[in-house]
Amino acid sequence: MGLDMSVIPRNFNVLLGGFYTTLKLFVLALAGGLPLGIFLGLGRLSSRKWIYYPVSAYINFIRNVPLLMVIFWIYFALPIVTGHNIGRLSSAIIAFIVFEATYFGEIIRAGFQSVKKGELQAAYSTGLTYTQAVRYILIPIGLRRVIPSLMTQIIVIFQDTSLAYVIGLREFVRASTIVNAREIRSLEIFGFVAMVYLLICLVGSTISNRLEEKGE
Amino acid sequence: MGYQFDWGVIVREPYWHWLLNGFIKTLILGSISWGIALFLGLIIGTIRTLPLKLARAIGKTYVEFFRNIPLLVQLFFWYYVIPPMVGQWFNRMQNLPWIMAIFGLGVYTASRVAEHFRSGLNSVPKGQRHAGLSTGLTNFQLYRHVIIPYGFRLMIPPITTEFLTIFKNSALAMTIGVLELSGQSYKIGTWTFHSFESITAAVGGYLIIGFTVIVFMGWVEKKLKIPGLLGGE
Amino acid sequence: MVAEEETLITIDEVSKWYGEVQALKGISLEIERKDVVVICGPSGCGKSTTLRCINGLEEFEEGDVIVDNVSVRKVQGTKKIYKLRSKIGMVFQHFELYPHLTALENITLAPKKVFGMSKKKANEKGMELLERVGIPKQANQKPGELSGGQQQRVGIARAIAMEPQTILFDEPTSALDPEMIRDVLEVMADLAEGGLTMVVVTHEMGFAKEVANKIAFMEDGVIVEHEDVETFFKNPKSERAKEFVDRVLVHI
Repeated sequence: MGLDMSVIPRNFNVLLGGFYTTLKLFVLALAGGLPLGIFLGLGRLSSRKWIYYPVSAYINFIRNVPLLMVIFWIYFALPIVTGHNIGRLSSAIIAFIVFEATYFGEIIRAGFQSVKKGELQAAYSTGLTYTQAVRYILIPIGLRRVIPSLMTQIIVIFQDTSLAYVIGLREFVRASTIVNAREIRSLEIFGFVAMVYLLICLVGSTISNRLEEKGE
Repeated sequence: MGYQFDWGVIVREPYWHWLLNGFIKTLILGSISWGIALFLGLIIGTIRTLPLKLARAIGKTYVEFFRNIPLLVQLFFWYYVIPPMVGQWFNRMQNLPWIMAIFGLGVYTASRVAEHFRSGLNSVPKGQRHAGLSTGLTNFQLYRHVIIPYGFRLMIPPITTEFLTIFKNSALAMTIGVLELSGQSYKIGTWTFHSFESITAAVGGYLIIGFTVIVFMGWVEKKLKIPGLLGGE
Repeated sequence: MVAEEETLITIDEVSKWYGEVQALKGISLEIERKDVVVICGPSGCGKSTTLRCINGLEEFEEGDVIVDNVSVRKVQGTKKIYKLRSKIGMVFQHFELYPHLTALENITLAPKKVFGMSKKKANEKGMELLERVGIPKQANQKPGELSGGQQQRVGIARAIAMEPQTILFDEPTSALDPEMIRDVLEVMADLAEGGLTMVVVTHEMGFAKEVANKIAFMEDGVIVEHEDVETFFKNPKSERAKEFVDRVLVHI
């Protein structure tokens, strides 16, 4: 049983299509997850009980549940109850946003907490409103502090996109299994998939390390 | 078209039994993999702190490799690629998915645990090394009696997180055919079309596991508390 | 028969660099049996580094240290260094007790593992040592439950437990509150009286005057002056030493 790497170029279209879907899912999950994460982070720091408790409950709940379950729930369960059918990609995007925002939220909260009280008070004393203080002080300073942790989580999200496999979304991994069903060259195909992820994530963590060093 | 909730689904036979079965499978899968992860992770984490360049390089390669490939892909490797390589007798084994899931999950989690161990061991103050070595302890004795016990306690919070995570990650085993908790909830859904209820039940199961882990690790932390260190007085 | 003036440790022209910076510049010192040598000098002059070179905890680039006829240079990185280290005890400024072990366990760990002593015998010896340093009641307490002075005394007992020829003290009282300094210095004076060979890095000039027999004054990685205690305090040779003695004596 020799190695036949030609199976990759032969099926390049399918694989590329899958990868493209993975990218779409990734980018949209980030686009939704980061802002929501900022809100959740702020919510966890709120002194208003009616914000703090629901947000904390939500975060603690989601963090105890597998991402797989969240994806299932949104794709299978929700449509049955609401009568609306959501497509695979949309379900996956929503699930990711809902799930990953909690992780972002905790990281961002730590970042916000590291901003010294004095700096915030200085901002308020010059007449800035809460929203302005958040926008011009908390976010620039706090977010910058936790960029390494955020980068790590972003890399995790990129890997997590593979879970959309379970609802049949044709992302990169699902595409590769489709090809494998045809070609039965699992070592070459899955090896290729593994290498692609490995490469991208290594590049990501190198960038993250550089950013961390620059920040010091 | 209104939806009729049927919560009885999850307490009726055979579905209740399926769920219970899945719950127990998740517990066992998580626990055994955790054992592998701790054992492997401790070794690799320690290797990464040794003064030998080659040892550190081996450790780093392991961690970077297993950490940067999605768990799903790793499981596929364990289930689809490796068994045929071992031999057809292996490929046809009864409990193949179960065994491969345990290995895959354990080896993957070990890479993350190794990082926490490395960080913990490196956080042990240098003076402790000096003190141990100055009484004539060998490097091995130093690690075994001073550095590892000390470093371990520093790592309990991140280790707790990993312990929680391994049970969540165990859900992926359903993709290679292991009927653990999430797999069962999916199956019930396909049989009864009441996946909302079955998935909710499964979520409840995971919450129970998560709660138990947190309580257990809290007990462990208390037992290992070092007075004067890390707020333990 | 062992002569009284037997040289236990010879430091021979030792030089050490931290990257570009030279921390030790050709240090030479001889420690004879029953010597109590105080090494003093301004902060950063290399006193502690010198100590750590003696038992091989720090590597040095030039020169050598001979301990009981064994060259530290030669055994550095080999298994023989462990044996060498068990002949030299060390007491640390920040005590460095193992926080997860009790006082007694701190003391008995090395004797059990290095000498293979039985637990029973090690515990007996350990209790004896705790009595000797004055804190037998604290045997089963962990370092976090002890005061600084108590911890340091356990540290001293831990060093003595290996029955070393020499004990190195690295600023043993610098991290202690004034009330406790006296207790620890008393223990050290006792040990000196009992004939223990000691090399002590310290700022406690009172101790130097009362207990030590030799002083080495270091500055900037060099031993500026080295003589017996009386001469040093009455007639320091160098300008720097004179300044130092003047400033210090005012406080005694």
